[in-house]
Amino acid sequence: MGYEIYRIEKDRARFRDIVRGRLREDLKKYLSSTDLLGQRAGRTISIPVPQIELPRLRFGENQGQGVGQGPGEEGAVVDGDGQNGEGAGAAGEDQGQHMLEVEVEIDELAEMLAAELELPNIEPRGTKQLLSEGGRYTGLRNQGPRSLRHFRRTFKRALTRTIAEGNWDPAEPRVVPIKDDERFRMRRTAPLPESSAVILHMMDVSGSMGKEQKEIVRIQAFWIDTWLRSQYKNIEVVYIVHDAVAKIVDSEEFFHLRESGGTKISSAYELALELIQTKYRPDQWNIYPFHYSDGDNWSARDTSHCISLLRDELLPRVNQFCYGQVKSAYGSGQFKKDLEQALGSTENLISAAVDGRDEIAESIRAFLGRGR
Amino acid sequence: MVRTPNLSARLKREAQRAEDAARAAGLDFFEVLFEILDARDLNAVAAYGGFPRRYASWRFGMDFERLHKGYSYGLSKIYELVINNDPTIAYLVRSNSLMEQKLVMAHVFGHADFFKHNVWFAPTNRRMVQAMESNAERIKQISADEGQDNLDRMLDRALCLEGLLDPYLPLQGPRASESVGRIDHARASFEAVLDGRPVRPPEPTRLAGSILPTYDCLAFLIEHAPLEVWQREVLRVVRDESYYFMPQRQTKIMNEGWASFWHSRLLTGGLLDGSEIIDFADCHSGATAAQAGQLNPYKLGIELFRHADRLGHDLFRLRKIHNDASFIDELVDEEFALENELFIYRDNPKGGGRQVADRDWKTVKQQLLSSLSWAGQPRIQLQEVDPEGALVLVHMHDGRDLVLQEAGQLISNLAHLWGAPVHLLSLDQGQGKRVTAGEAGVSVADCELAVERCGGSASPGERGDSKRQAG
Repeated sequence: MGYEIYRIEKDRARFRDIVRGRLREDLKKYLSSTDLLGQRAGRTISIPVPQIELPRLRFGENQGQGVGQGPGEEGAVVDGDGQNGEGAGAAGEDQGQHMLEVEVEIDELAEMLAAELELPNIEPRGTKQLLSEGGRYTGLRNQGPRSLRHFRRTFKRALTRTIAEGNWDPAEPRVVPIKDDERFRMRRTAPLPESSAVILHMMDVSGSMGKEQKEIVRIQAFWIDTWLRSQYKNIEVVYIVHDAVAKIVDSEEFFHLRESGGTKISSAYELALELIQTKYRPDQWNIYPFHYSDGDNWSARDTSHCISLLRDELLPRVNQFCYGQVKSAYGSGQFKKDLEQALGSTENLISAAVDGRDEIAESIRAFLGRGR
Repeated sequence: MVRTPNLSARLKREAQRAEDAARAAGLDFFEVLFEILDARDLNAVAAYGGFPRRYASWRFGMDFERLHKGYSYGLSKIYELVINNDPTIAYLVRSNSLMEQKLVMAHVFGHADFFKHNVWFAPTNRRMVQAMESNAERIKQISADEGQDNLDRMLDRALCLEGLLDPYLPLQGPRASESVGRIDHARASFEAVLDGRPVRPPEPTRLAGSILPTYDCLAFLIEHAPLEVWQREVLRVVRDESYYFMPQRQTKIMNEGWASFWHSRLLTGGLLDGSEIIDFADCHSGATAAQAGQLNPYKLGIELFRHADRLGHDLFRLRKIHNDASFIDELVDEEFALENELFIYRDNPKGGGRQVADRDWKTVKQQLLSSLSWAGQPRIQLQEVDPEGALVLVHMHDGRDLVLQEAGQLISNLAHLWGAPVHLLSLDQGQGKRVTAGEAGVSVADCELAVERCGGSASPGERGDSKRQAG
């Protein structure tokens, strides 16, 4: 058959359009919920949406009963999940729960976000000289000149093949590559700097940052990533957590770790600076550090150290530095005040206070609204 | 002879063996066409209700999305799909093992026999593949003329009202539920043109069910609502297709039971290879597994036929004259309820799911019957057009309240088509209610009159009445 496929794809596309329309309408809701987190795979995000239902006549509350089958005394709890068991079940009429996942491209979601928050596109940061088209020999291909033959890869493949063919003799370990085994180095053009960006998410994980605070950070980070991913072709994300010391972690840890102890914000800034100086050089990368904390720092001395780090080292090197202060039960919120007092007039420093989930959207608008 | 467009020689042989065995056992069916599909294609066909072509609608896309996701995540899998048509069309999924294909084919012959002989299917259109195709073509034309958005809005409205049909109407006369006259007129006009006679305009046909009081709201709207031609056409398509699917909803338990009963008999009666017995038993018991919290129609159905067999009933007669409700009324007795461990569950008042509430067989039977009567839908009668021109719908209350808010949304779609307000009378915890949808939106008010007009059918006697109609 096969021809249904094309037809059904049209219906499916139409359904997805409708879902996107609803998503657009409900974006506010998603901006403060954790529903979308962890749903990204490559450049698509799968979004759980309620199945669209037409109103129908249904029996109500006093219907909460039905007929079941199986053992059990009166009063015994039965599992009534409604999932069909395995077996020759045809599509049931009301099988499963009424949620669907729909894939949406990151660019599309970002575009919705932009429409909702009226975000401007990011302007290229200055004119940077084009890197030479030279690139580096980082790729592989299976044809090429002898001089570029990748010996190790070729040998590995030949070895694998020899073993698979049963010709491997440990006593006489002879491996003869044939043409199919050969691999050659290939030149890859390096991405142009205009299209590369790095996001440095730094989070305070000291004792005072609770679960809700982390969720807020998580939601913020998700939307910031989504937006920046739509703006740059090549993007890297680095997660840094700190209490009194800072370290680089993976995203899983970033969002779940709970340390306790003191807070020395400068430790994170120093680590960020080190990364910028070694790995993400400003002439090759657009740099977006974000720092989330509840505003409590260890000492006034460390705060002034942070300020001088920002003023002298970080701010000159980055596109924009964002500080998001999440309200917590214990935090004093002092850091934001200090920051604004010392560096308030600096163009590429943005600070925002987030007192609750409702304010996430506003803080994202503050962070990304300048098109920098 | 089984025509089999794309089956392997091996499967053709098995299909023929299964057919011969089915006929030898007394089953009788239209020609059965088997077609083998990949899971993805099968999901697409399933989203269209089994038809190769339906009109374009986002709803089929949504169903496909759900089926396909369910399949990709390994949560659900469709083994087979049969559609009621002459010839009967059955799809097999390519990934089935040979044993599974044998099982499915025997199962299909059971369904095919049921479609041909069960009285509820007698009025259905047996050329539905073509009818669906021409409906699709018609709707496509409308979409081109009126725009897809307008069409979608109309289709959504019409589909909301799908539940407002009369399950018994099709039995009341030849093709009573169908829009008659169109094809006859087309044929007459064609012949007139050939003979050089003038073509007469079509005589106005009246749909059965459009005369008040009626349960067939769609027929009433088609005949009497101030609609444009294309809007009537959309309603007609929705109505015809709904009536076509209606008997499948009314006979789910019997139909699956009958097919499972026969696949089991035929396979263990010689179609299976000795080496396949264990896999068959595994597959069959999976399909007919009882789950505590819900009823498996395969399980309930096959047990009912086995019970009837033990009691010495004529199975072929039973499959001919009953729908689920009357079948259960006929066969469920104390022994059956006990043996099959049937019970009533209720939502646990303290939360935490459902619990076994009652095992009394009479209560269980009563519950089963009320959930199956009137095709499982609330029974809503369109009684009159009141002096202000508003439609008055009355919910024939049987002890189960409606979700009034959702019903309100539904009748506001109805009001839109009718062009004037719509009232729905119902009961809510014994209190009479009147839901009104009009230009000012939806409102719910207390209504003494409703108690009188809705309450009459709460007694079990009324069900006896519907049973008589069914038998």
